[in-house]
Order: sequence, then C-alpha cells, then structure tokens
Amino acid sequence: MKPLPSMASYVPVMLLFILAALVAGGMFTATTYLGPKNPNPTKEYPFECGHLGEGSGDVRPSVKFYMTALLFVVFDIEAVMIYPWAVEFRSLGWSGFATMGSFILVVFVLLAYVWKKGALEWEK
Amino acid sequence: MKDALLALAPILVVAFGGLGLMMTEAFGTRKKGGPASDLALGSFIVFMAGAVVSASLWAAGPEQLPGASSTAPWLIVDRFTLFFDTVLCLGAGLSALMAGGYLPEHRLDRGEFFPLLVFSTVGAMILAASGDLLSLFIGLETMSIGVYAMVGFRRGSLRSTEAAVKYFLLGSFAAALLLYGGALIYGITGKTDFASIGAAIKNGLGGRQADFGMLLVAMVLVLAGLAFKVSSVPFHMWTPDAYEGAPTPATSYMAVAVKSAAFAMMLRVLLGVFGDSASMSWGTGWPPVLAALALLTMTVSNLIAGRQESVKRMLAYSSIAHAGYVLVGVVAVIKPGSDAQASVLFYLLSYTVSTAGAFAALILCGSRGREAVSFEDLAGLGKRHPVAAFALSFFLLSLAGMPPTAGFFGKFYIARAGIGAGLNVLTVLLLLNSVIAAYYYLRVMVFMYMREPAPGAPSAIPMRSGYVTAAIVLSAVLVVLLGVWPSTSLKVAIDSALTFR
Repeated sequence: MKPLPSMASYVPVMLLFILAALVAGGMFTATTYLGPKNPNPTKEYPFECGHLGEGSGDVRPSVKFYMTALLFVVFDIEAVMIYPWAVEFRSLGWSGFATMGSFILVVFVLLAYVWKKGALEWEK
Repeated sequence: MKDALLALAPILVVAFGGLGLMMTEAFGTRKKGGPASDLALGSFIVFMAGAVVSASLWAAGPEQLPGASSTAPWLIVDRFTLFFDTVLCLGAGLSALMAGGYLPEHRLDRGEFFPLLVFSTVGAMILAASGDLLSLFIGLETMSIGVYAMVGFRRGSLRSTEAAVKYFLLGSFAAALLLYGGALIYGITGKTDFASIGAAIKNGLGGRQADFGMLLVAMVLVLAGLAFKVSSVPFHMWTPDAYEGAPTPATSYMAVAVKSAAFAMMLRVLLGVFGDSASMSWGTGWPPVLAALALLTMTVSNLIAGRQESVKRMLAYSSIAHAGYVLVGVVAVIKPGSDAQASVLFYLLSYTVSTAGAFAALILCGSRGREAVSFEDLAGLGKRHPVAAFALSFFLLSLAGMPPTAGFFGKFYIARAGIGAGLNVLTVLLLLNSVIAAYYYLRVMVFMYMREPAPGAPSAIPMRSGYVTAAIVLSAVLVVLLGVWPSTSLKVAIDSALTFR
C-alpha cells in the first residue's frame, strides 16, 4: 500500500496564509501610523460615484429576492448533477438513464410545488 | 440496480410518500377541518408503511438481499439500520398523529408541517444507515433542516422563533465541529468511509507519530459534535429552550427520533472509526470522555429538572437525563461480547414509546389558547379529567422506570450492561439518578391528583382529538408490551447489534 501523504505537506499552504495576513495587516498598520491626516467635512462625507447621499439611511429593502436565490441554488445544483451524467451517458446505459430520469422527476415535482405555492410570482 | 432499490426500500417508501404528501398539500382541495387532519393520517400511513417494510426486511435478513452490499459504504443495509428505521418511523408516526390533533387546535393548521416531518425522518434514516463521512453529513443536515423549520412553526410566537434561531445556530455550530473533525480524519487517512478509516488507524497510520496527535484532536471534535446532537451536558444549553418553544409534536419528534438517530450515528462512528483497541481503552481513547459526559449529563440535568415550573421544560431536561443513561450503555460497549449495544437499542425503543406517549398526553391536557405547560395548569386535573391525567401519569411512570413498564426494563438492561463492563460507579450513579428523577415525575402526579387549582386561576381544559388519543393508545400498548414481554424485543435488539473487530 502506498504511504499516505503526511499532514506536513500542507505546511507551505499555512505559510502562505500567514504571509498573506502579515502583508495585509502590515499595510494597514503602516498607513495608520505613517500617512498624513487632514480631515475636513467634505472628506468625511459618505459618497458613491460622486453623488451626495439622499434620504434616510434607515430604509427596509425588500427581501423577496431570497426566495429566487434559494430556488436558483436548488435548480443550479441539478445542473451540477446532470453535466457529469451527460459526459458518461453512453457507458451508464439505460440504468443511468432511469436513474437520471427519476432524479429529474423529483426535481419536476419540486418545480410544480413551488409554482403552485406562488414562489415564482415576483409581485403578489 | 433493482436489488439496490429493494435494499433501500424503507428510505424510498418514506421519501416518495413525502413527495406525495407535498403534492397533496399543494394541489389538494381544502376540506372542512383543514388540511392538517388529512395529511396527518397520510403521513402516519407513510411512516407505518416504512416501519412495516423495515421490519419485514429485518425478518427476511438483510444479508439475504443481493443489493445490500452494493449501497455500502454510503448506506449500509444491515439489521442495525433496519432496527433504527423501524424505531424512527414509529417515533415520527406518533408525532404525525399528535400533530393531526395539535395543529388545528392551536391554529397552526398549515400542511407544510407533515412533508417537513417526513423528509426530516428520511434524513434520520440516512443517518442511521451511513457508513461514510459524506453520507453521514448529508443525512445529518437533511434531518436537521426539517427540524429547524418545525421548531419555528409557530411563526407569530416570539418564543418559538427564538427557539428556532437558537437551535439553528447551535445546531449548525455542532455540525461544523463534526465536519471539522471529519476533515481532519480525511486529512490523516485519505479515506471517508468508516471501515477504511478504522483499518488505517488500526494499522498505525503508517507510523507517523504527529498524525496521532491530529487524530486525537479529530476525535475530540467529532465527540463534541455528537454530544451536541444527543444533547449531553455540557452541550445541552439549547435543548430546554428549543424543546419548550417548539410545537409539542415537533418537541416529541426531536426528543425521540432525532435523539435515536444521533445515537445510531454515535455507535456507528465510535465502533466503525474509533473501534480499534487503543481508541477503546481507558488510557488512550474515548471511554473516559464519554463516561464523564454520561456522569455530568445524568446528574446535572436531573438536578435542574426538579426545579422547573413548566412540565414541557421538565420533560426536556428529562430527555437530557435519558441521554445520560444511554451514554452509560454506550460506554459499556467497550467490553467485547457484551449485550451493551442491545441494551442501548432496547432503551432507545422503550424511551421512544414512553416519551412520545408523555408528550401526546401533555397535548391532550391542554386546549386552544391554553396549552397546559406549567405544573399549576395541571392542578386538580385528576378529578376533572381522569382519563387525560391517567394517561400522563402512566407514561411518566414508564419514564421513571417503574415495573412493569418499558422504562423499567430499559434501565435494567443498561444497568446490567454497565455492571458487566465493570462500570460500577457509573451504574450506581444511574440508579441514584433514577431515584432523583422519580421526584419530578411524581410531582406532576401530586399536582394532578392532590392539589386543587388556585381560586380564579384559569385551569387547563383537555382537548378532544381522535388523532392524539390514537397516539396515546398506540404508545401505551407498546409500553405495556415492552414491559411485559421484554425478552422478545431484547432478542431483536441483540440481533441488531453492530458487529465489529
């Protein structure tokens, strides 16, 4: 039996992480202590693309996007399953076809369910 | 492939039953009485079908099935799996019956509860069958996600939402610990299936000393994750809040099925992965850790349970205490050739019917807007509603371990296995703790039969529901059967034990 790789082979990866943390942390520390600071009201103002802020920052954005995102993840994973199956389609034969068929059937039931439940309606 | 389908029939029956229920819930027409009552019957039938299929495969002998080996190591179909499949379907079926009465009574009449219950049970069955770190994690998450949603089912209630968030965060944390431990094990051995990992550890990991330190870390992480799931002290903090905030059928499901599946996972991991003689010795392995957990779990939870004002919370602490008793049996497994595993399996079966019965009886004691949760609510119930009071007393006596109920023989076999494995201190503590536990179980009966409700206090009015009554009758019959003929089920449990070494 081939000897298993030791955990020691992962040490370079850890060194890379440590190095990255040191470089990033060092840059922040250095600019905090070395950079000149001349604050004035215009500099302190929050801005985006040059526009001044408008209205209150305390608004409630609609979160109905979460349902779309959730469904996207579910149906996207389906594609992840189907691609490798398509590559091996010939060697898997009819039994592979039946397996994937039942999988797609289950996903179809799910689609029918979310459709009926109104999860696909953007405005209700 | 046909053979594999037959071997996986219990899981498939429940899973496709769940799909059917989901479609019925979405497309079915609403009848009078709401969808919950129809779906409760539907899911009960699905669970009973699952239990019957598992039991018949058990009786036929899974080693006879040509497909049983083709699903290994991801899903292992042996008598151990089929035993747990039956117990899980039984516990979940009782919860479905309870929900059929509870949800309409408390204006939670939404059909989604039942598909959640069914799919969560599918996860639990995968968990009990898993022989690989990957399928273990998939089973664990499938089971847990359904339960998180069921705990937060009472959406208007702050307490229910708090319970769900707490359970979700701590449960995910525990899953992360387990996953981290699994990742370290994979890093050390390069394998994900239990048998190969166990063999690699037995062969000394290629003689690399540094990896043994890493293995110890992995073992601690995995044990912590497992202890979280069986809610053992000191990883029990979420249990009382989650159990109290959840709708009672979900509480029963968590106390019964989730805990049984977690113990199945624990036995599979401890015996499959850490089953070598070094890991199973008192000096260098997990027995001292689990023994300490068992000791803490029994003692701390029993002391706190006696001080509770809410019966539901008391039952939550009592379920933690029972996890402690089972852990004594799990530690006793280290003695080769003992019936310790069988005692654990028998205990989980008897605990399932007693606890589910107790929660069903507690549901029966309350009605709309007035869920009987505190001891005061139950005052004088024995005179006003003798049937509900009697049912609750009966199951509490079984939990306390009074002969001739199922609970007595559960404790008896665990204690016998403990003495057989030389765990004298733990076994004596188990018996002492049973005496302490009798105090708070009997206290419920004192309130029901010997106290009058305070004048002017709103008292609990029992509800009427055929479903809840059916759940009580079914559990009562099983409690009596297990108490009067324990030897048959013990023999079944002995035959179901995992083989190792």
